[in-house]
Amino acid sequence: MGRMTLPVVLATALAPAAAGTAGAVQRGSWTMPANDYASTRYSDLREITPANAPRLRPVWTFSTGVLGGHEGQPLVVDNTMYVVTPYPNVLYAFDLTREGYPLKWKYRPPVDPNALGIACCDAINRGAFYASGKIVYNLLDGHTVAIAAATGKELWRTRIADLSEGETTPVAPLVVKDRVIVGASGGEFGIHGWLKGLDLETGRIVWTAYNIGPDSEVLARPGVFKPFYDRGEELALRSWPPDVWRAGGAPVWGWMSYDADLDLLYYGTGNPAPYNPEQRAGDNKWTASVLARRPEDGALVWAYQFTPHDSWDYDGVAEMILTDVVIGGRRRKALVHFDKNGFAYTLDRVTGEVLVAQPFVDVNWAKRVDLATGRPVIDSTKLTGASRGNIKDICPTLEGGKTPAAPAAYSPRTGLFYLATNNMCMDYQATRVTRIAGTPFIGANTPYHPGPGGKMGGFIAWDAAAGRSVWQTPEPYPVWSGALVTGGDVAFYGTLDGWFKAVDARTGKALWRFKVGSGVVGNPISYAGPDGRQYVAVYAGIGGDWFLLSGDVRSDDPADVRPPADFMPDIARHTSQGGIVWIFGL
Amino acid sequence: MDLRPVVAVVALVACGGHQEGARPAPGLEERVLAGGVAPSAGTTDIAAANPFKGDRPSAAEGERTFAAMNCDGCHGGGAVGFVGPSLRDGRWRYGGSDGQIYQSIFAGRPRGMPAYGGLLPAGAIWRLVTYLQSLEPPPNVPTESWR
Repeated sequence: MGRMTLPVVLATALAPAAAGTAGAVQRGSWTMPANDYASTRYSDLREITPANAPRLRPVWTFSTGVLGGHEGQPLVVDNTMYVVTPYPNVLYAFDLTREGYPLKWKYRPPVDPNALGIACCDAINRGAFYASGKIVYNLLDGHTVAIAAATGKELWRTRIADLSEGETTPVAPLVVKDRVIVGASGGEFGIHGWLKGLDLETGRIVWTAYNIGPDSEVLARPGVFKPFYDRGEELALRSWPPDVWRAGGAPVWGWMSYDADLDLLYYGTGNPAPYNPEQRAGDNKWTASVLARRPEDGALVWAYQFTPHDSWDYDGVAEMILTDVVIGGRRRKALVHFDKNGFAYTLDRVTGEVLVAQPFVDVNWAKRVDLATGRPVIDSTKLTGASRGNIKDICPTLEGGKTPAAPAAYSPRTGLFYLATNNMCMDYQATRVTRIAGTPFIGANTPYHPGPGGKMGGFIAWDAAAGRSVWQTPEPYPVWSGALVTGGDVAFYGTLDGWFKAVDARTGKALWRFKVGSGVVGNPISYAGPDGRQYVAVYAGIGGDWFLLSGDVRSDDPADVRPPADFMPDIARHTSQGGIVWIFGL
Repeated sequence: MDLRPVVAVVALVACGGHQEGARPAPGLEERVLAGGVAPSAGTTDIAAANPFKGDRPSAAEGERTFAAMNCDGCHGGGAVGFVGPSLRDGRWRYGGSDGQIYQSIFAGRPRGMPAYGGLLPAGAIWRLVTYLQSLEPPPNVPTESWR
């Protein structure tokens, strides 16, 4: 099932193969969201180098006809590019073997428009997964579909989530053997978060594992579930007031990974609901956590909570990158995670032990993470709650030191991780809130301001063994694009003000940039075309949280005119909404 | 009317847990029902006039309801727009007359605006309308000029 990891010490000796699922795919394909099960977003293609990257040029563009935030990434399989749009979740298949890349087919599903009012943060979609001749993805309104990659024919369509309970489904599935793994958003609507395993051939729901609640529903079985730091039964029940967990959040809207040797599936959970922590005393396990499960039956093997009793909306759903890391002379099977809470974690992915936890941006809600207990050492003056009034200047904001929407990349050649960061802080006024089904369940007002230095974002390279950044490039705005790194040692990312950039992966030196028509919140990929040449593709199309926060970046609705965002009043001077697929090459 | 009946209704709904909504009135099949409760038919008139128009105590009460009913979760604090549209820009997708705003709250709208008519009595909805009508459009419409 594809490669998993390369030891850092051998990093330059080997390049990873594109990980296949159930059958061979040609080299240079991009078949799953992060290119491999280890979630590296690394392409071993090496035609584009720091020397020639300044000559990159656009070779093709396509307007998707949709204006929602274009998160996620295309897939390339068998000389076909697959693009899923935000709501209404159209799936395009482009023929890369023909002049102008004409459509092979287009799939237009029925999607309930009410999903637009239940999705917390724009009508985004985080992408599809290719497996066994199928393109599998989620519709925003709580359905998973499987489409024949060759013909565009719908093979199955399964209802997995309930809009009336606040569940929507922008997450990208992960397919492991014959299981399609999916989850739901709704941390702002008081959902009862879960993960489901579907049968790849039929779409039948085989198992449902809740992230919170009784062991029987969390699928935490004696003798199988062994968290590193916690002991005892009913942890995800006893860490809540009675019944509060039933609307306690723990959504799944980030990225999933899989280790074939350990047969473990890794994913993170989102915030506890509501944002006012005084309505949910206790640790609130397993919100803001990483969970390791068996893909076959969903059994929970270990779990670790990044932010116990989260008081800041620090979802733990960011990608879990699986690599080997040498720490103290010992090679560890590691899981590297850049949390919204501002800490970069290097965990032992066999056990869930925290090996390294260091801040990668300015952090003031916690002083450090205690490696003996795995718990953050919290600055009590930054604790929030309705009775505590307006707590000022908490860093980072609930957008995250890095947003989970923008996954990091890892190069086995440099041994470094590449990620977009946000340098913002927030005030946090929690309020008491009542859950009313079909309406938001939030309970906090959280205005932002720029963090220290005033530059609101950056792109950095991170050493996960040492727990420190190697280089960093500041950006004027928060950076909301995923990262790509290649065998040519070039890293790519985009910015909210609409630049797509290439930098030297070893030094961070800027190599090239191009203005792509709208802010970038998608994730770049690289693939080999039918001509054998290396290409890089990315979406432009500002949105996601920036649909909510940017102020006036839309022009399609004359009945919705907004003041500029006070913390970045001029973003609308540089971008409006759009929806464009870009392909670049030499 | 004060907010107490409203809060009582909400508490009842919240305690009821995941209750199934009753069958909605004709024309409401495509709406989200706030609290899972369908409005009864026949109480909306888009030509109706707001009985509290311009009344500041009513606007203040409407503002409290705007938070208590989680309206701010979609439309933003101060109704400046968030995932849902701005309600203070003086522009309306579905019409800005008293009765049209009432109708939007009572019966909901497509694309996710819940119907609150099953939870809120008419007086509470009119006070919400009064609050929204009291909001000044932002002085700086940023599309107009850059310095």
